Amino acid sequence: MGRVAIVGVGHSKFGKRSDASLRELAFEAYSSALDDAELESPQIDGTVVCSATHYDKQRSPAGVVSEYLGLSPKPTFNVEAACASSAVGLRIAWSLVSSRLHDVVAVVGVQKMTELSSGEIQELMGRAGDVMWESPFGTSMPAYYAMYANAHMAKYGTTEDDMALVTVKNRKYGAKNPQAMFQKPITAEEVMNSRPVAKPLKLYDCCANADGAACLIIATSEMTKKITDKPVWVAGLGLASSPMSLAGRKGPLTSFEVTKNAARSAYEMARVRPNEVDVAEVHDSFSITEILNYEDLGFARPGRGTKLLKTNETDLGGKIPINIDGGLISKGHPVGATGASQITSLVHQLRKEAGDVQVDGAKIGLAQNIGGIGMYSAVSILKA
Amino acid sequence: MGFEKFGRLGYVSQAKITPFVSYLEKNQIVATRCKECGTLCFPPRADCPKCRGSEIAWVPIEGKGKLVTFTEVYFAPPAFQDATPYLLGLAELGDGLRVFAPITGEVDRNDLKPGLELVLRAKRAGEGVFYQLESR
Repeated sequence: MGRVAIVGVGHSKFGKRSDASLRELAFEAYSSALDDAELESPQIDGTVVCSATHYDKQRSPAGVVSEYLGLSPKPTFNVEAACASSAVGLRIAWSLVSSRLHDVVAVVGVQKMTELSSGEIQELMGRAGDVMWESPFGTSMPAYYAMYANAHMAKYGTTEDDMALVTVKNRKYGAKNPQAMFQKPITAEEVMNSRPVAKPLKLYDCCANADGAACLIIATSEMTKKITDKPVWVAGLGLASSPMSLAGRKGPLTSFEVTKNAARSAYEMARVRPNEVDVAEVHDSFSITEILNYEDLGFARPGRGTKLLKTNETDLGGKIPINIDGGLISKGHPVGATGASQITSLVHQLRKEAGDVQVDGAKIGLAQNIGGIGMYSAVSILKA
Repeated sequence: MGFEKFGRLGYVSQAKITPFVSYLEKNQIVATRCKECGTLCFPPRADCPKCRGSEIAWVPIEGKGKLVTFTEVYFAPPAFQDATPYLLGLAELGDGLRVFAPITGEVDRNDLKPGLELVLRAKRAGEGVFYQLESR
């Protein structure tokens, strides 16, 4: 197996993009990734298009995306793993390139959500759980995470005020990210006073549906040497699954086993320990998810995630800065684009191009991306 | 056909496990036991996850459970919005079995915490039939 690097990244503005269609969003990210890598389309061997296709008006979007990017007749296909689609897309691209089937592959994460009405999205989200045994009771995405939140609160004394601090932190950094959907800081009071969605989660504990795209150009080590003098290496990839049904999961639901399993594989492959990670992007679909992720990734002991947060250790300047691009809570969550967006932020950090939010001496970055209600989790470790 | 009767709003109509609905209509909550290896499953399964056997027996379950976790939903899929706020819970039933179910609105919100003792009971609503967690 050859080494694999990320040689270019691109990112569209995330948010309510009523000005752009799915293929046009994909083009924005792809074109800026080509500029970043100083490549042109003839040098791209194929695309892995990542989206949770049930949100798209276009059926099987890889076809139209590849056409619009000017890549026909090169190989293309869709990868779907709900909110983790493009983290899984990176895994597929890694396999395509490390096997030498291809030399250079583009991972295009894209989602167009705001064209659907809020009701249509709610209907889709209602079927995010086990459609035979759980959805018939009126489930929703926030409801599942709220159940983890209540379990964590009961076992460890975590409070709604603690969770609000996640939103406050991430929105503070979102204000510095020109690609983010929300570029305004928020106060803990505003979070606490927002309307309930699924108790204990309130509106501002939740990320927002959004449109957007992010693109990663992946290459073999030989091609990487020709393309760039600042490669970011894919050092470790972990992916795991969990029962989709909540009834099928074990334990008190105060952590995601699926993330612990994915993290174990990624740390092992990268030969990295949690305390060696310099900067991380974790899946903050909800405020509570970020706290659980600190613990599941080994940045904090079980029940101590809130302490890490409250002592500012996950802020810029702390032990392990997390989501200092604003996270999903600021950027919005265009489902299929989120994983590639996290990786894009890490690539900027590891190349020392993160501007105001640059972590001094960042050499190892970690991204963690959960799919749906926790049936998939992907952990990617990158090295400068 | 027939499985769509399960729940407040059924999405799936066709399933091998549909006889479960007829038991519910008779006020019985049943699990499946694999005739080959004895593995007990709830929610019921037509196929054994352990030995792949597809010969199953229906066995009643007692329904006594302890709450693992819960939530109260305020913002719901459109078909459920009129019923908000409503409670959903996950409970441990014993024998390693768990159930995801609505919790009756009659329960005192202040009592809701992991470990709360509840019981799973069959319930009818219009054409549909389901189960819910109630106070013991």
